Formats: sequence, C-alpha cells, structure tokens
Amino acid sequence: MTRVAGFLKRYFAVLVVGTTYLWAVSAIVSYRAAEAPPGTITLRLGHWQLEASVRQALDELAADYSAQRVAQGLSPVKITQDAIPEMTYVQWLTTQLMGGTAPDMLEVGLGTMPYYLWLQYFNRYFIPLTREVNQPNPYNADTPLEGVPLRLTFKDGMREAYVEEMQEYMSVPLSQFGVRIFYNRNLLKRLTGLDAPPTDYRGFLAVCRQIKSAHDERGQPYAPIAGSKYHLGWWEGPMMDPLTYTVKDVADFNRDGFVDNGEQFVAIKTGRLDFHHPAVAARYRMLWELTEYFQVGFTGLSRDEALLLFAQERAVFMTTGTWEARSLLEQAEGYFDVGVMDYPMPSPDDPEYGAVMRGPNYERIGGGARFGITRSCAHPDIALDFLRFITSRAHNEKLNAIIGWIPSVRETQMPPFLRGFEPHLKGVYGNFNPGGLGGETAIKWMQIYAEYQIKRKTYDQVVESFEPFYKTRGMVDFMDTQKEWRRALHDNEQFLAGIRAQALRAEGDAAVSDWVKYRILTTNRQIWPEIFHTRQMKLVTGELALPDHGPYEYSERVLNKVRARLERRADTPAPITSLNPAPEP
Amino acid sequence: MRGHYTRTSLVPRFALALLASMFAASGCAPRHQAPPAEANPVEAGWTHYRLGEFDSAVRAFDRALAAKPPADPQHLLALYGLATTWNLRTPLGDQDKTRARHYYEDIVTRAPQSDLAAWSMLALARLQHVVPVGEEPDYEAVRAAYDAVIDRFPEHLAGQEAFIYRQATLIQTLQTGPTSQAVTALHAFIDRHPKSGFLSGAYSLLASGYETLHEPEHQLEAELKALDSMEFDPTNPKFENSGAYWKIATIAEFEAGDFATARRFYRRLMDEYPQDIRVFAAEEALRRMDGVEARLRREMAGGGA
Repeated sequence: MTRVAGFLKRYFAVLVVGTTYLWAVSAIVSYRAAEAPPGTITLRLGHWQLEASVRQALDELAADYSAQRVAQGLSPVKITQDAIPEMTYVQWLTTQLMGGTAPDMLEVGLGTMPYYLWLQYFNRYFIPLTREVNQPNPYNADTPLEGVPLRLTFKDGMREAYVEEMQEYMSVPLSQFGVRIFYNRNLLKRLTGLDAPPTDYRGFLAVCRQIKSAHDERGQPYAPIAGSKYHLGWWEGPMMDPLTYTVKDVADFNRDGFVDNGEQFVAIKTGRLDFHHPAVAARYRMLWELTEYFQVGFTGLSRDEALLLFAQERAVFMTTGTWEARSLLEQAEGYFDVGVMDYPMPSPDDPEYGAVMRGPNYERIGGGARFGITRSCAHPDIALDFLRFITSRAHNEKLNAIIGWIPSVRETQMPPFLRGFEPHLKGVYGNFNPGGLGGETAIKWMQIYAEYQIKRKTYDQVVESFEPFYKTRGMVDFMDTQKEWRRALHDNEQFLAGIRAQALRAEGDAAVSDWVKYRILTTNRQIWPEIFHTRQMKLVTGELALPDHGPYEYSERVLNKVRARLERRADTPAPITSLNPAPEP
Repeated sequence: MRGHYTRTSLVPRFALALLASMFAASGCAPRHQAPPAEANPVEAGWTHYRLGEFDSAVRAFDRALAAKPPADPQHLLALYGLATTWNLRTPLGDQDKTRARHYYEDIVTRAPQSDLAAWSMLALARLQHVVPVGEEPDYEAVRAAYDAVIDRFPEHLAGQEAFIYRQATLIQTLQTGPTSQAVTALHAFIDRHPKSGFLSGAYSLLASGYETLHEPEHQLEAELKALDSMEFDPTNPKFENSGAYWKIATIAEFEAGDFATARRFYRRLMDEYPQDIRVFAAEEALRRMDGVEARLRREMAGGGA
C-alpha cells in the first residue's frame, strides 16, 4: 500500500498527463467512429459561409449523397464542414494548404486575397477540372440536362470557374447572387400609407422625403435608408454608375463596348470628355440626392451598424444581397414583414436623368460559392462526384432552397421570396471611374470624393479640385499603367512558352487543341494590346490626331453615304469588290 | 551512476518515452500531397515550370540533359526547356538571358532544321523584341531577327508567328508609310498561306492597318474575313465572338456607313449571345439606324429634320 502510494506520489504528474492523453484519444476515436462508422469515407469541406442554413443544406445534401451511394452498394461518405469566418479564411486556407492538411474541397475566390495569389494557389494546390466539366453530369439523367456537358448545365457556362491564365476550370459554383433593396413593409405603410414603394426614382425620392420628416412617439426621426460605407457601393454600382453608360459614345476608342481607365484618361486629356459631361454629372448628382436620405454619418458606419438600424425598425430601406436574405427574414420574423424591390431607376422622361438613363442596369449572371478540389484530397474522384451530385438539377435546386440562395444550374426554380432577384439580362452599365488610374490620382479622388459624400464639397468644387489634378498627375499614373501593361507582356511570354511546350509534347486531338489555344492567346495577348496601347500613347501625347467624331457618333461622310444609298433606294450598300491596298479614291 | 539503471528509475523513463512517442505519433497526420510526375525529367521540368518552381525546373532539365546523349531528341528538349526557363523565369532578377541565348543557339546549331530550331530562333527574336520595361526595342534589329526566322522556316508555325510579329511592329507605328508596307506584305502572306493558323491574325492586322490608312470599307472587309477565319477554342467559356460581332457592327455603322452589315451583326450578337452585356446597346443601335434613315428620308423628301 505504501509502495503504491509512493509510486502515485512520485509519478502523479506523469500519470495525470498520460491518463488525460488516453482519455482524449479514446474520446476522439469514439466520436469519429460515431460520426463516420468503419468503412465510411470522410471528406472535409472548407468554406466561409457561417449562415446556419448553409451548413444545414450541405449536411442534408451530404446525407442524401451518402444514402444514394449506400443504395448502390458503395461505401458511405461523410462530409464534415470547416466553416471559417471570412475575416480569417485566407490565413486559415493558406496554412492548411501549405501544411498539406487542407480539406478535400475548399471554397475559392474570396476577394480579400489578391487574384494573383489565388492564381498561385490554384496552380500549386488545386486539381484542374477541365476534362471532367466537359463530361455530362450523370446525376442529370432523365432531365432536360441529360447528356449536356457539366459546364453547360450552369447558367453562366461556368465562366467564373474558368481561370484564363491557366486555361483550366478550377472550381464548381453552387449558387448565384444578386442585390436588391429590402424594405420594412410595416414601417413603410405606417409612415407613408403605401403598401409598396414606388418603382421610379422621383417617386422613391418623394417617399424618402416623407419618411425623413416623420418621427416616432418619442420624437426620434427615422432614416429612410440604412446606409454605411459598405452599403453605399451597393447603391453606386447598380443605380448610379449606369448613368455613365453614354460615356462610351465618345471614349470607347477600341470599340469593345467599354471605357477602360486608359481610354477615359485619353478622352479627358484630349478634351473629348470632361467631368461636366451630362452623364458624369448626373451620376454624382444622384449620389448627392440619395445620400440625403441615409442616416447621418453613414460614411463612418459599418455594415453591421446599418443592419442593426434596419433590424431595429429605425430605417425603411436597405440594399443587400441574396446572401443575407434568409437571415434578414429570420431576424424580422414576428416583428415586421420584409419586402424586396428593384432599384428605382429614373424614367425616360425624367427631366434631369432621362437624357442619359437609357435603360435598366445590366446584371451579369455569375456563379458564386465555388468549390475546388485540393491536391491533398485522398479521394478526388469522390469529391468530384459529390460536387456533381450537388450541382445536378434537382439537388442544386434543393440545396439552394434550403439556404435561400439562387441556384447556379439551369432549369431550376428559385425560392419564391427571391423572385425579385431575377437578373436583368438586358441593360446598361457604368463607363466612368475617376480613381481607376490608381496611384496618386486614386488617392486624391478618394479624399475629394469622401468630402463630396458628406456634402462638404459641391460637385463644382469637386471638379475644380480634381480635374486639373487628374489631367496633370494622371499622366504619371497613366504612364505607370503603361509600364504595368508592358510587364504583363513578359508574364505572357512565360505563360505562352508553357502552352507551346505542352503543345509540342502533345499528340493527336490534344495537340491540335493546344496549338489552337496557343495561336489565339498569342494573337490576343501579345499583338493587339501592343497596337492598342501604342495608339493610346500617341493620342495622349498628341502624336496622333483624335478622330473628329467619337467612336459611336456619325461623321458627315457616313451620313452622306447613307443618304446616297437611300437615294438609290437600295437596302444594301454598294458591294465592296475586293481588298485592295490602294487608298479609296 | 552513469549507465546503471534500477527498476524504479526505468519506469518513469519508459513512461515518458511512451508519452513522447504518442504525442509525436499524434502529430504525424497522413499527407497526400501529390508530387509532380518524375517519370520523365523533361515532363517534370515543364510541370515545375508551369507551377512557377523554376529552380526545380532547371534541376529536372539538367538531369534530362545529363541522362541522354546529345543526339537523343530528349536531349534537345531538355536544352529547350533550360533555355526557356533561364529566359523567362521570374522574378526577373533570376533570369539569365545570356545563358538562355547560348542554349537556343546551341539547339539551332545542333539540329538546324528541327522544330525546336524554329522555336529557338523565334525565341531569340522575341528576346530582342520584349525588352525590359522602360527600354525601347531596336526595331530594325528586331525585324531582322524575325526575317531570319521567316527566311529559314517560311512554312513553319514559328516562321508565320514571326511574320505576324514583324508586321505588327510596322502597323503599330500608326504611320501611313510603314503601314502600307505591312498591308502589302499581309496581302501576300494571305495569298501564300490561305490555311495558316495565323490567317485570322493576319486579317485583323490588315484591318488595323486600314484603320490607320482611313479606309473603313477595307477595314470592315478585313474584319469580316478575320472573323470567318477565326479559330475557336471550345474549352474556353470566355472565348466567344460577341466582341468581334460588336466591333464589326460598329465599324459598319459608324465608319463604313454599311447599315446592312451593321444590322446583321447586331442581330447575330442578340441571337447568339442573348446574355451579353452589349445586347441592350445592339437593340438600341437597330432603333438608332432606323431613326437616322427615317430622318434622312424626310430631309430628302424636303420635310426637314
């Protein structure tokens, strides 16, 4: 007895540590065994979606997947989720990937990590899926999508999943997202008597005015719009930027339909465009008018503070996306009804905006919540099969119905409360970005624009302070962007050498395909940009004269040609006989 | 007493060793990192190159070089891999253009009519063309280097690529003299190589040349032929013709005054790419042209604007 006591006394610490360790090991083993019985294949899936409905939906679909495998006589599969907060996701992902302990499937594309890093990670740590996404999804059997290659079963054709620099598909999208204005139906009715908000801009402003003048029983005012620095962007992008659409008529020199930062600088520097262009001035006038109805000090507030204001029924309107729709509805349940409305755009006969507002804002369909398979995955075939399963027509619809998101797959139905998020596939888009040149120009713009947002400067004062700076200092930043583009030429050489080597080593159809890729990329990346940038440089330095009309403006010569054709009463122009290097007489 | 153990002193030592082993073992989670294929060192070299692991690429190509006699095709491939890696590796400070040039020249000397000699000569020309940022290429020397590739390999893809780059150096001057020269040369190339993989590129360059020469009708026709001869990469979802349709339609409408062609291509854009961002603008353009024609008809009928 004394010897046992002595032993215990002497080795107490070692025994405690050992026992604790054994207990921990047995607890983990038994937990894992209960979670995934022997014979079960376990796959880990990492993402940054903390909403409960996402985890619930993935669990439910994982259970369905495992059940159908068992029914086929295959091993069950357990999917465990690592839901990591957005704030730390990049650090977590980096350590997991570098340590070789990453989950089998990872959500990719978080904007807080620069794209070039994602590119490196894709290259090094993820499995390309190109061959697989060109095969039909077997889980679409007996549906209209049967036999259709997986990538073409997505609404966006998996555009976002394709990594141009690698010429590979690297991920599979589960959902789509959209942004609209949410409103508190009860508060709107109480303060304005309206059941639904007006759909046009002037009516919307009038309602905001009415809300702003209302007070509660304690004399506290209401904010028509719950705003924050984060939310302002969701008003600017879909509602204000489209007003600058017509800038392309004078500044889209390369005729691609868009005005890039270089083209905008060339247009302003050469006097073809200025900040008083009606479309540009209108865009900033709208900001002035709308922010009148945001709560005071909104530029210093965070996203959560705006959400709180809306949830506490102190504001009627708030922009947000499908990613918050479900949780917002849950928060409001039992307190107020949430409505969803489209952006109230100015009507064509609007006295101030009608001339520049050509149509609704265009919304690109893009697949989000994208998952890639890591190279460290022990069962990549099963991970791929699971991704196929949850992106089949029926299961993608089910997954998104549970989460409250829009399905990414064609021929699916979206949850009823998201109907208002149906994207506008025809519309206009922004063509003006004063800070786009980067460098000092961007910093100066941010400073001045911040003052404009809080109405410390009028638009005329903004233009007076910024436009001369943009024209002078902008030249330095413009030249820097030219250098950046030249650096890209070097990167392209490196990339193209890789494609060429692949083509040289390939055989049969693969070689044909690789050479086609090589020729297309060579032409698009190394030849046209050089000509285009030289043209920009010569225009901006005055070595080349600007055409006397904008790219989307008729010259007198063209009008005369049309006149002549109409006089001949022919519907088609005189045929062009041949390509002759001699100039036209 | 060094080396003398009692039963009681062994117990804690054993327990500690056991614990340490258990802790160590628990930290050893299995990893499944897939290494690049090493079966063929040339293949491995290119895998490393693609992953941006240039030191490993050099080592793999060096191994391949040592493993095969100079007459073996794999030896030449390894030389080409080494040349490419030293030429284009990043960061730029790690590049060794002299060494790269030496390897490329070695390939040309050893197998002067080989595929790799053609690509090496093109690489030597590109070395002169793609100069560090802030420097200006010596265009006369660049064109001479391209001419050397074209002269030795006129039918080879590398020779045709060299031809396209050479004409691009003339077109990008945006001056009528060099541009006219390039236009003439491009016509000759198109006649001689009607099935070239760079045919579409040649037509596009021609269109750009005609833009400089202010010949919009010829520019439009060249754009149309560039589209007709364009190769298609079905695996790339971002590769589509919508941009080409838009460009042709707007050149036809605003430069050539050819409303029929403009209408045709605006409609093709709307029909083939109904989700394209420019569809709204295409519909708007169709209405605009109708409006312009109606206005001009009224003017011609004496009705005024």
